[in-house]
Amino acid sequence: MEKRLASLTSLSLGFMIIGIPRALIYWKRPYFWETFFESLGCKVILSPPTNKEIVEKGVKVADPETCFSNKVYWGHLLWFEDLEEKVDYIFIPLLKTNQEKLEYCLKFFGIPDLSKILVKTPILTETFDEKKEKFGKTVERLGKNINKSKKEIKKALTLSFLKEKELKKQEEQDFFEKAHSTQPKIVLISHPYNLYDEYVNLRIDDKLKKTGAQIIFIDEVPIKNIKPPELAILETEAQKFHWEFGGEILGKIDEVLKYNISGAIEISSFQCGCDAVLKEFVEKKIKQNRIPFLYLLIDEHTGEAGFQTRLEAFIDTI
Amino acid sequence: MKISFPHFGNYHIVFKTLFEGIGCDVVLSEKTTVKDIEEGAKISPELFCLPLKVNLGNYLHALKRGVDTFFMWENIKGSCRLRYYWMIQEKALHDVGFSNIKVLNFNGRNFFPRIKEIKEKNRTSWCRVIKTFLLSYQKLKLVEFLEERARWLRPREIIRGETEWILIDTLKRLDRLQTGKELSKLKKEIEEKFQKIKIQNNISPFEIGLIGEIYTVVDGAVNFDIEKKLGEMGAEVHREMSLSYFIKQGIFPWREWKIQKKIKPYLRSTVGGHGADAIYEMLNYVKKNFDGVIHLLPFGCMPEVTVRPILEKIHLESGIPFLSLSLDEQVAEAGINTRLEAFVDVAKNHHNRKTT
Repeated sequence: MEKRLASLTSLSLGFMIIGIPRALIYWKRPYFWETFFESLGCKVILSPPTNKEIVEKGVKVADPETCFSNKVYWGHLLWFEDLEEKVDYIFIPLLKTNQEKLEYCLKFFGIPDLSKILVKTPILTETFDEKKEKFGKTVERLGKNINKSKKEIKKALTLSFLKEKELKKQEEQDFFEKAHSTQPKIVLISHPYNLYDEYVNLRIDDKLKKTGAQIIFIDEVPIKNIKPPELAILETEAQKFHWEFGGEILGKIDEVLKYNISGAIEISSFQCGCDAVLKEFVEKKIKQNRIPFLYLLIDEHTGEAGFQTRLEAFIDTI
Repeated sequence: MKISFPHFGNYHIVFKTLFEGIGCDVVLSEKTTVKDIEEGAKISPELFCLPLKVNLGNYLHALKRGVDTFFMWENIKGSCRLRYYWMIQEKALHDVGFSNIKVLNFNGRNFFPRIKEIKEKNRTSWCRVIKTFLLSYQKLKLVEFLEERARWLRPREIIRGETEWILIDTLKRLDRLQTGKELSKLKKEIEEKFQKIKIQNNISPFEIGLIGEIYTVVDGAVNFDIEKKLGEMGAEVHREMSLSYFIKQGIFPWREWKIQKKIKPYLRSTVGGHGADAIYEMLNYVKKNFDGVIHLLPFGCMPEVTVRPILEKIHLESGIPFLSLSLDEQVAEAGINTRLEAFVDVAKNHHNRKTT
């Protein structure tokens, strides 16, 4: 009886519409949250892929010194404000620590609170801190905020996990296909929000493909049970990266180096504080293996022509 | 083993006493100059924050005096880049050819074991170590007392620069003295000296709060002596950020919880560094009805940049004049002066409107 009532009310009210900005934290878990909310019976609206308008909007409101990726995120967020069909909630999780109890970039911590200053639409948020609470429990609380029962949430979660697994499998297959090809292979090292956002990285993979190279995203590299490798600068006292991507990227570089790589490109957004640290170690690792290395900075002023020239020069060295 | 460490405001006096007391041979670089900062920036990673570059500038200076080991603080609690300073600094020094230089990391966890290790190596007695700690603590207290008095006196003094002169002289003497007895003598003397300074009695100077990242707030060489400048323009400057604040926060975690509770409407999570403290302090200054808040940060400092929109929001809500200054190796003193002068005018107006 209760169930029927619930379904009736939701019908009369229509679907709950949830907006997810397609930038930054979205790319940490693409498709996962979409599937989750859709299987809960919500309608999900993603902001469109990044375009010039969105970047301009973001740059206008952002603090001039935050990283470029953050500026892009504000642009996506403001896109929902100008939308004709208003969304009920914008979903912005507060990502603090991940499963391995490693921290996310500290700029993620402030995103939900800073968003509240920018937009009037209510924000759906929950703190994902696995040092204190298991992922499942946090999601349960999140579901409670939009009046969903435990059962529904559990079901939606399993569906989303399945979908994520499927994608990972596909990725893995792609990777092995690429890794065993005879073309020169180039690794793109960056954060997922720079790799998959085609506007932000100026379609670097298309440009490289035209030259006949095989592109491997560092994100696709499969590694099982990554333990954050220790940064053995001082052999006596090695210290771990406390950032979630630090250990992961370094581990994946180790893995990918086994496949006879002919070049590596690191892309980082301007004013990314984490990359300033990470670059030192990535560069060291790659140069030790005598592989050509190119470091590219992207921001709102990056010109396509300049990018192209540098890429071509890099390809010539390989 | 000749050791050195980067400059940090006037606290080099404290660190010097501490490390000399446990038997180290301390060689300090001279006070940070513009040239040091430039040279440090040359060899450091481009996108790193300013303190690392300034530290490297200090190191390069000290290396000319035969130093082979540097001490660097490592922040294991927060999520800011200070955690990786010692590694990056060591790598940067190795890259330019100083391949047998070591940068030792000190953090909350290994501080006492490290001290013990050094003490045993140098065969210092426990008695001397404890005495050293006590003396360092007293010196720390005195340095902060002097700075606080100077902040209060500067806008009130009749002969401009008198306070500054006494401050510099006392700090020099404090640096040289070795025992607790001498220290208490100096303390008495200095109180008398401060009392002798002629002040204008019946004025109420406008008050400005300094908030932001600890290094840029505390170190006069990096922030172009902002305290002195503001003081001489007639402002009473207040700041909470200091070394003892930092130490207290490290020892007593509930201070952080308290801050977190207070700033919850604005920020629900910590952002590392002193981001949360900046919001808390600004709210405090608004409550105390100050005439202006100046936010200091190194260019691109992750926590401070994250909280800056929130500070701006508080500024818009309360109407308190607010100025945010990002410092990096390319900032020139003249530019800062102009902005400060303009800001002081705004703060003065705010003060006058309040009193009339």
